[in-house]
Amino acid sequence: MSKISRRDLLQYIGAGGVGAVGGVLYGESVQRNVELLIPQVVPPDDYSPGVASWYNTVCNQCSAGCGISVRIREGKAKKIEGNPVHPVSQGRTCARGQAGLNALYNPDRIRTPLQNAGQRGSGSFEEISWGDALATVGSRLGRLKIENNASRVRLLTGRVRGRLDELFAQFMGLLGSDHYQQYDFTYPSALMAANKTSYGTDVLPYYDIKNATFVLSFGADYLGTWISPVHHSLAYGHLRHGQEGRRGKTVQIEPRMSLTGASADEWIPARPGTEGLLALGIAHALVSDGRYQGSDRDEWSTALAAFSPARVSAETEVSDDKISQLAREFGASAASLAIAGGAAAAGTNAVASVVAVNALNHIAGNLGKPGGVIFNSEQAFSSAAASRPAGHQGVLDLTEAMEAGDVEVLLVHDANPVYALPENVRFQQALQNVPLIVALSSFPDETTEMADLILPTNTYLESWGDDVPDPGVGFPVASISQPVVAPLYDTLSAGDIVLSLARQIGGELPIRMRWGTMEEFIRDRWREEYNKRESAGEAQEFEAFWQASLEAGVWGQPGADSGGNSVPSTSSTIASIANPVSMFAGGESDYPLVLHPYLTATFLDGRGANLPWLQELPDPMTSVVYGSWAELNPATAAEMGIKDGDVLEISSPTGTVRVPALTFPAIRPDVVAMPIGQGHKGYGRYAGDRGANPIHVVANQIDTQSGELAWAATRVKIKRTGEKLQIIKTDGVTRTLGRQILAPKNDHG
Amino acid sequence: MSTFVEKLRSYRKPGYYDEFDYHWTMTIDLDRCTGCEACVVACQAENNLPIVGEERFAQSREIKWIRIERYWEGEYPNVKMGFIPMLCQQCDDAPCETACPVYATYHNQDGLNTQIYNRCIGTRTCAVYCPYEVRYFNWFTYTWDEPLEQQLNPDVSVREKGVMEKCTFCIQRIRIAKDNAKDDDERRVRDGEVVPACVQSCPTEAMVFGNSKDPGSKVSKMMKNPRGYKVLEELNTSPSIVYLTKAHS
Repeated sequence: MSKISRRDLLQYIGAGGVGAVGGVLYGESVQRNVELLIPQVVPPDDYSPGVASWYNTVCNQCSAGCGISVRIREGKAKKIEGNPVHPVSQGRTCARGQAGLNALYNPDRIRTPLQNAGQRGSGSFEEISWGDALATVGSRLGRLKIENNASRVRLLTGRVRGRLDELFAQFMGLLGSDHYQQYDFTYPSALMAANKTSYGTDVLPYYDIKNATFVLSFGADYLGTWISPVHHSLAYGHLRHGQEGRRGKTVQIEPRMSLTGASADEWIPARPGTEGLLALGIAHALVSDGRYQGSDRDEWSTALAAFSPARVSAETEVSDDKISQLAREFGASAASLAIAGGAAAAGTNAVASVVAVNALNHIAGNLGKPGGVIFNSEQAFSSAAASRPAGHQGVLDLTEAMEAGDVEVLLVHDANPVYALPENVRFQQALQNVPLIVALSSFPDETTEMADLILPTNTYLESWGDDVPDPGVGFPVASISQPVVAPLYDTLSAGDIVLSLARQIGGELPIRMRWGTMEEFIRDRWREEYNKRESAGEAQEFEAFWQASLEAGVWGQPGADSGGNSVPSTSSTIASIANPVSMFAGGESDYPLVLHPYLTATFLDGRGANLPWLQELPDPMTSVVYGSWAELNPATAAEMGIKDGDVLEISSPTGTVRVPALTFPAIRPDVVAMPIGQGHKGYGRYAGDRGANPIHVVANQIDTQSGELAWAATRVKIKRTGEKLQIIKTDGVTRTLGRQILAPKNDHG
Repeated sequence: MSTFVEKLRSYRKPGYYDEFDYHWTMTIDLDRCTGCEACVVACQAENNLPIVGEERFAQSREIKWIRIERYWEGEYPNVKMGFIPMLCQQCDDAPCETACPVYATYHNQDGLNTQIYNRCIGTRTCAVYCPYEVRYFNWFTYTWDEPLEQQLNPDVSVREKGVMEKCTFCIQRIRIAKDNAKDDDERRVRDGEVVPACVQSCPTEAMVFGNSKDPGSKVSKMMKNPRGYKVLEELNTSPSIVYLTKAHS
């Protein structure tokens, strides 16, 4: 026996269990490598084997800004749940939010910096070191700055808020380029533009679905994809049964039944592109019925004179009676609310349509009161100006600049314009004229594949950041993003990359951007905010405040007025009332059907397609997995002799996609609908080469007032190819056939 | 053997479940449910459900302990969609339990219909007997593409080829709550201390979970709702899930 004291023995047991002790007891003859049961002798404070800890951070699967809690065991993220104290998510999540773990542990993540090792776009890359990668970019940017040519540097990002946005803006500003722009296909740009017209502010208001009793939605899929689905779902639950003896009603107007349409009490398939007109018809009925008693009643009457229900009925294909009934209910409800989004806000008349819907809220007196439209102030927390997506026009300008050879360096962060733009914008072709494309991305995708240099970023679960939810919730709120696990690979957060580049470039950049890390920057800015507020009587040390905020994941001042509650005047809305009819690309004789591309609750604009849980999640309305399809009304399909699974060639004036047909009972006969999200060419193994991307065949039409992409204003023709493809669905029989499934037997009658 | 038969008889005795402390029950309000499927992914994350792949889906071999069923009513333009989350109903007179030749599925003291993976020999009889079609068979041993396996919940065993699996009402969460209650001066589990993953995620708060033997619990109150009914109740399976049918304004 070796000389070993009891004390030593206990230490060995503590360190490595029986294996270690065995090794010692049997002496030198046993030279096996001891596998420790617990990897650390002295584990970090927050690491206790078998005990889960929860860290609060912010979800980044869409731009709603839900607070989430992530369950960590032994340093690994296990489960995402909503952060119960966060005012946006209130403890809840959506399917995409839950699937965030698939992003963190995605097998296709980019693990080291890469540089292009072949023809651009060929997808062959070789590893390089961070030092080389940052030096390459830094020296190029530095040279352009010295030559006073920094305006040839462009930064294109997805939707970015909070301090990362500030950092991007500061970096580009110090570099001398004013070409930092955001692009997000899902961003409600037309809504913002319309609200600017109606309300004089382009801060997103809070649509108080929770306290409404009658919600009239023009195309806004607020439960699935529109702006803040989790928050709206919470509100919806409350609208239905949150108050004793009261059940709010919802009406959905859209050509193809969405998730929200399926839950609505009434689904009204108005003719595509006439949603705004329908709103004016309802407004006309409200005013002429004497439901509006404001002093500017006559102005309204004049502005709306041309939109009598009879005339509107003919164009929208919604009956007179229905229009009158909607007007009656909208006017008589205790708290009515009209909202517009989706395809209704994506025609060439988008802004005019949304203004028409805003007019309804004006007339019914829904502004600035519970259950209506509540205005948010510009900045509830931060004093820094927040960037807004430049939208479609910005991307067109960028494309033009690239074509003209005016862009020498393009930095792309967390955006995939090659996928999310119509093909005839020719963004991908324009990229060929850019000498250096640098992608900051966690995953390979269509845009990243075109890059010369890929700087791999941490996922949001490994990054520092902060966020002010947009739309706000009526009082000042800010959330902190913190890494819930250590970075899995040799990656950096986007903020840290920017700070490193600033140091590489030198000059005033590292002096003005003095922070060593993103964490330091966030802390510094929060300290400033804290100091500003401390004088207002919050007697608390910053460190305590910071720890408390980190722990809660969110800071807020419930009850504090965010100062945006003044009700705007109606005059600008009245002045902007116009006949809002959408113009479609393609003549009706050659292209008989309207293409209705829609965002899906599973993939949104396609960003979720690389997450296996979402690929395996049956589509909420059709139960299809792993693929895309084109929805046709059964009557249309029968007329054309099309059966489920027949591969169709869908041609617009600008392109063609091939996709299998699926009959869908809740779609207009003159519409063909396609989900957005699939059809990726280079988005990892799960997105694979499956399905088709309807955005690619959308004609590059724009809304006449805002310049936004009118993605719901394209006509198409369809042709059977003769091929068949199995559409993989989980549903069997989709009728209850009198069984006691959805209701007790006697309810079936 | 005789004690076993006696035990079995007592299990089948009417009112047997009144003799136990907890009876885990769920209510699902179809008037709140929007079919968003947050619960489906939450369950997949919590219970280590496999990623089966496109080919297996095409063969109807997917594994989803909770799914949303969709039922159309009427024709265009007066067409309506009804969603209903379907998961193991934890029947008190479960057809699956009587069918298993090796007692791999049995009723536990909390009114839960429980599956013992180690005991299951994969006859798949239970799946045939289940009228709700919520039992799923592992035709293969599924693997996770590295590093997705790092997400696996250590509180839930990963199943392999040849065993049947189904919703457990997140029994691991029930266990933890009971253990905590026991450590805390042997008190009883309080209402709201056990929240299965699906219920936790639900953004419209359509699902309520709790002990129906506690008259003060939220679930007990929800069960009294006049809209309440049980799916395929005519089969006398005595499900532990009460659905609240859609209402009209």
